[in-house]
Amino acid sequence: MIPMALTLPQTQAAGLAGRAVTMDEAAFRHLYDRTARPLRAYLMRSCGDLALADDLLQEAYLRMLRSGFEGEDDDHRKNYLYRIATNLLRDHFRRKKPESDQVPERDESPGHDVAIHLRSDVGGAMAELAPRDRQMLWLAYVEGASHHEIAKALGLRSASIRSMLFRARERLAKQLQARGLRPELEVS
Amino acid sequence: MTTKSCSYEDAVTAAARSGDWSPELKAHRDGCLTCAELTLVVAALAADAEELAAMDTPLPDSALIWLRARLATRERQYQHATRAIVWVQRAAMAIALAIGFAFAPGLWELVSGTFSGLNLSLSAPNLPRTAGSPLLVVVVSMLVLGGLALWELTVAQEN
Repeated sequence: MIPMALTLPQTQAAGLAGRAVTMDEAAFRHLYDRTARPLRAYLMRSCGDLALADDLLQEAYLRMLRSGFEGEDDDHRKNYLYRIATNLLRDHFRRKKPESDQVPERDESPGHDVAIHLRSDVGGAMAELAPRDRQMLWLAYVEGASHHEIAKALGLRSASIRSMLFRARERLAKQLQARGLRPELEVS
Repeated sequence: MTTKSCSYEDAVTAAARSGDWSPELKAHRDGCLTCAELTLVVAALAADAEELAAMDTPLPDSALIWLRARLATRERQYQHATRAIVWVQRAAMAIALAIGFAFAPGLWELVSGTFSGLNLSLSAPNLPRTAGSPLLVVVVSMLVLGGLALWELTVAQEN
């Protein structure tokens, strides 16, 4: 895979170009309005719990503001936010199940929101994967992150990402196929 | 397990995300297991992301996050600004206590001597000279100030 920047979809990225570097309240609201929903989607699909996703979302923005990180532009800040969010997710899974960092399994926390998983077949299929697989797949195929960026965010070796991503992709494809989804159904 | 990579993966990923398939790429995808799986995964995730982003559930209030961050920043700035004052207070307290301890034996004699010779019926001009000793005043003041500094530090840390 050609490394792609962890950027917003084109329609959103165009509107962010040239924003002021200084993070005042207006700039923060601007960043929040454009990044919060995709970030919450990432968090929700990774942890499977809307309330927890909202908590982590707030914590991610708070940490970014507290750190004083200004970044070169909103894309830079967005990358930073995703790294913070990924770290928060990792901390969450570590606290919940220490061994999850080595052999991550399906998220079965008490706060696991079944309703969200049932929202779609994709949600159900993702719920069958390990948290790290979910994060990896989302960062790679929704956010367009490069292997290097994924490795940095997940604390893994860059060289391992290709094979790990391939295996995660295979697992998700199997889950999707088990739910009756086929490539020809997805592509119009 | 061997990674069965395909040279078309990048093009297939881009097409699956955008839905813009060339006839050649589509033909390749239909005949390549790796690219068919990739298409399924990428398209499914893209649809899922779109659905989640379009959820009606309101986001946490950005103004509240901003306010919390500002409060945290102010708290940090306050701690930073008062750090020097706290250190001066600690130093003053340490000096006061050191002086107090250094003069403790002599002070005890001074105080006991003063009070033993004190006759409350005497008028002020007839009081022993040690009662108005500058050394006694300095040492007692130091001890009082040291106590006040200690109290101030304790209260500041509690707050």
